[in-house]
Amino acid sequence: MLTAFARAFRTPDLRKKLLFTLGVLVLFRLGAHIPVPGVDYQNVNQCIKEAGGNGGLFGMINMFSGGALLQLTIFALGIMPYITASIILQLLTVVIPRLEALKKEGQAGTAKITQYTRYLTLALAILQGTGLVATAQSGTLFRTCQVGNQIVPDQSIFRTAVMVITMTAGTVMIMWLGELITDRGIGNGMSILMFTSIAAGFPSALWGIKKSGKIVGGWGEFAIVIAVGLAMVCLVVFVEQAQRRIPVQYAKRMIGRRSYGGTSTYIPVKVNQAGVIPVIFASSLLYIPALVVQFSGNSTSGWAQWISTNLTKGDHPIYLTLYFLLIVFFAFFYVAISFNPEEVADNMKKYGGFIPGIRAGRPTAEYLSYVLNRITWPGSLYLGLIALVPTVAIAFFQGSANNFPFGGTSILIIVGVGLETVKQIESQLQQRNYEGFLR
Amino acid sequence: MVIGFSIALIVFSLLLMLLVLMHKGKGGGLSDMFGGGMQSSVGGSSVAERNLDRITVIVGLLWFACIVGLGLVLKLQH
Repeated sequence: MLTAFARAFRTPDLRKKLLFTLGVLVLFRLGAHIPVPGVDYQNVNQCIKEAGGNGGLFGMINMFSGGALLQLTIFALGIMPYITASIILQLLTVVIPRLEALKKEGQAGTAKITQYTRYLTLALAILQGTGLVATAQSGTLFRTCQVGNQIVPDQSIFRTAVMVITMTAGTVMIMWLGELITDRGIGNGMSILMFTSIAAGFPSALWGIKKSGKIVGGWGEFAIVIAVGLAMVCLVVFVEQAQRRIPVQYAKRMIGRRSYGGTSTYIPVKVNQAGVIPVIFASSLLYIPALVVQFSGNSTSGWAQWISTNLTKGDHPIYLTLYFLLIVFFAFFYVAISFNPEEVADNMKKYGGFIPGIRAGRPTAEYLSYVLNRITWPGSLYLGLIALVPTVAIAFFQGSANNFPFGGTSILIIVGVGLETVKQIESQLQQRNYEGFLR
Repeated sequence: MVIGFSIALIVFSLLLMLLVLMHKGKGGGLSDMFGGGMQSSVGGSSVAERNLDRITVIVGLLWFACIVGLGLVLKLQH
């Protein structure tokens, strides 16, 4: 393992890529600590200390931005606008025929969709930036804090505009950094930035648990949390790698004097075909009602009251149930739009392939969708449970569920991104040596 | 002083947005982000793209300098 790391750094090409990625990450974290001009940094720090690290409503998004959101830094919005834009476009491809046509076009069409995503990111960044600055000015960002309404001392329109524009430019900058990593570094830039943001919150959160704990000066809780986290990581890795292999036999064909095919391969159907996307979809959808309440201002009307008691806390039964159901639904939804059994069956028929015991064409498509459906059930239930279990478990034996760093969502994302990136480094490494990280 | 820095910051922010949006988007969307296929980027970037990169880096640095400058000036005022 360690020798593989050493070898990765000895390969000039790979070393350059790794160092480039690390450099960009340093820039990213640096920007996440520089406050937007016009924010009173001392007041913000005091408020964060009083709030005890959990942002309540903004908790999830604050986690995605690595704590930058509540500090009102120039990278406060993080990659959330980009993710939201991607989700919206992903959903729209099902609805709008033009986008669907673009998607079928292949490379050029995908590039165009990416471009749309970027424009939408900009729009969303302006929207969310305005919202964030407005909540900070009115003092609702930190409700319990005394100096909460003095975070932004100068509330003139010009200063507000400067703040919003700076945050928007910061978001666009993050988008570019992510693309740079994808282009010249290793792994997928956006997911690596997200990985970094989430991982950046771990040390302080762990320390918070140690401080608030009671067993052996907090070390007891500390050890338990770490053990639970490790166990979860093992479980997640195990299930992420699990797949069902549907055997496919290719007929031997003679074209001219050469023979093609005649091989037997398999179609891998992963248990969790959808990855962490359902979790992200579900959590960003569940965040919307809370956001609406936040913006509507008056929290006295009935529906606003109901939402803020039932849908903003991560450990409320109604929230948990909704979250679980949404994850299961989106797991099926995403598998349905990303894997098309009829297309696969068609392609197989074209190249003379068949699943042993099943006729080519429609029966094959039916068989594929049957297998896919059955294997997605445990996959989706696993996703939902993983996303819930830590929250529930910690809520039972400790009151600070929000502080728990190894929330299901963050573990899923960390492991998913980590696996993907290591695989990519390994494939680069194998171009020179045969031994990689994963034996 | 504050006004000057603010205006410079607005200008550089807008420039930065424009420049980044002029790049060709790399890495497409969500499915790529989490467990998409492994495709390595093939080929380098064109000359125009490289120049664009250089300009973006310069504007980014200026933007950053403006933020730090404005922050300091505002702090000194208090």
